[in-house]
Amino acid sequence: MKRQADGLNRRQFLKSSAIAVGALAAVGAGVGYLQKVTTEKRINQQFLRPPGSIDEKDFIYACIKCGLCIQICPVQAIKFAGIKDGLAYGTPYIDARSQACDLSCDSIQCVETCPTAALYFVPFKNAGEKAIEAYNKTHKIDENYNPFPVQIKAMKRQVRMGRAKVNDKTCLAVLGKGFKGTPRGDDFKGINRSPYGDSPSATPLRDKQYDTKICDICVKECPMGEEAIVLDKHTRADGTVGYKPKVLDGCVGCGVCVMVCPTEEPSIVVEPLIAS
Amino acid sequence: MFGKKNTTPIPAKTKEEMPYVKAGMSFKAWREKYGGRHKWRTIRWAVLIGINGLFILSFLLDLSMLEGSLSGSRLIGFYLMDPFNTLQQLVISFYTGHWVHLTMNFVIGASTIFIFYFLMGGRTFCSWVCPYHFLAEWGEKLHNYLVKKKKIKEHTYNRYLRYVFWVGFLLLAFFTQNLVFEDLNPVGIISRAMIYGPGLILLWILLLITFEIVYSKRFWCRYVCPIGATYSMVGQLSPFGVKFELDKCAHCLDCQNVCLVPHELWFVERGKATSQRHDVGADCTRCGLCIDVCPGNALSYTIKGWDKIL
Repeated sequence: MKRQADGLNRRQFLKSSAIAVGALAAVGAGVGYLQKVTTEKRINQQFLRPPGSIDEKDFIYACIKCGLCIQICPVQAIKFAGIKDGLAYGTPYIDARSQACDLSCDSIQCVETCPTAALYFVPFKNAGEKAIEAYNKTHKIDENYNPFPVQIKAMKRQVRMGRAKVNDKTCLAVLGKGFKGTPRGDDFKGINRSPYGDSPSATPLRDKQYDTKICDICVKECPMGEEAIVLDKHTRADGTVGYKPKVLDGCVGCGVCVMVCPTEEPSIVVEPLIAS
Repeated sequence: MFGKKNTTPIPAKTKEEMPYVKAGMSFKAWREKYGGRHKWRTIRWAVLIGINGLFILSFLLDLSMLEGSLSGSRLIGFYLMDPFNTLQQLVISFYTGHWVHLTMNFVIGASTIFIFYFLMGGRTFCSWVCPYHFLAEWGEKLHNYLVKKKKIKEHTYNRYLRYVFWVGFLLLAFFTQNLVFEDLNPVGIISRAMIYGPGLILLWILLLITFEIVYSKRFWCRYVCPIGATYSMVGQLSPFGVKFELDKCAHCLDCQNVCLVPHELWFVERGKATSQRHDVGADCTRCGLCIDVCPGNALSYTIKGWDKIL
């Protein structure tokens, strides 16, 4: 009697189990479909993963969507993906155009904080230690001893979010134009730390004024400096000589150039490396 | 747990043995005087709101106290991990052979949670931490009201359905290499929405809570949630729990009516108890509602083994 009152009889259990298995199978089919459709889309879109992210097919399950990387980012570049990104819902991504990762945290803390190594810290740690080792060979421990800048630099070089690509058709430098004013208008909320300035932390982009004959804001603001992007001589299709930002192998894909580009649509975009 | 259990019920109490008769009161007066307190509920809601509030404040004010969300978090630098996420990841790793995410922090976080909830009784998480439980508690009230008014009918299922879902979600994780459950998990969804801002996914929560209100009471918590099922398994042998003393019980069944898992309170029915003392089983969420409602204080929190020593 008691078993029936508890809803514990076998027939009911089998019936509801069958429904449960059916529901799970439906969920599984949905997941399979989304996996096929949205993963492709994600790879082809401007969907930058935070620094240190492992291969996308591993990332999608290694990431537990806890939000620690989002919380620790000092410039709040990392955001949660919404349900429009399908199975990537709740995973972190960076929309470089609205707020790029400017590497001004100086310690790649989002990678270090990740509890499941979806952002994998070991290569960063090794690169930093290697840099300190090399530094120790050429420097003595005295009052000038400071290995941290080289360690930070080495760790930043380890970042590989993507690679920037210039659009020749709209880039102001390619068109031979300069730029005067603030690149993204007065109500743009993005912040970054300029490599030439002396501010220890990131400052709003709207506070910065530029006046250049040939627009080179992306080259100026690049946190990796000359190893990532330079303004290079460029021969146009009609034979005249002008300038063009040239992306080098040192580009880490942080997206600062995308954020600071003054044209309506960014003339420089970062192609994500999440597919690998 | 060990040794042979006595399964013969103790003969039902006579009227003279009832606690209200001993106190020299009528049943109604006794029940009204001593029952229906809200002490533990107030404490529990304060803890639940406190923990979730600490998450929100840590992000808003950059407090670094309790960062992350309920899927994975850091309590003053000390990692904590959701147990079902942990299981799903282990299962997927068996498929892919990719064990990279088994970092020290992961191991520490997962084992801390397992040890803590082993001691505290597993599903303590549900009623003391889970934000969906808080919502569902109000949904349950509304549901009970509607049933009482005969607007809707009650639908119950077999509670072992949870284990079907538990195995099912692990299998899904294994075959799709995705944290499938985390996409549907109301705990993580609500936690993230509260801390980092809402999203369209909250419609799913709305759907769930509506289903619970108009169709089946506490459907998700009782029959689906694999996190609760995991905690229930973790807390099988836990020392902290709720104990029942037969001599103080008047068999009014108020406790069963407020309980989220009434099957665990089977021994309060007249003539069912097999010993003078019973410990509530692993499905119990230690919410304390039964303790609050019991007029005779027959139910109380206990640490097994301790009351013998003290």
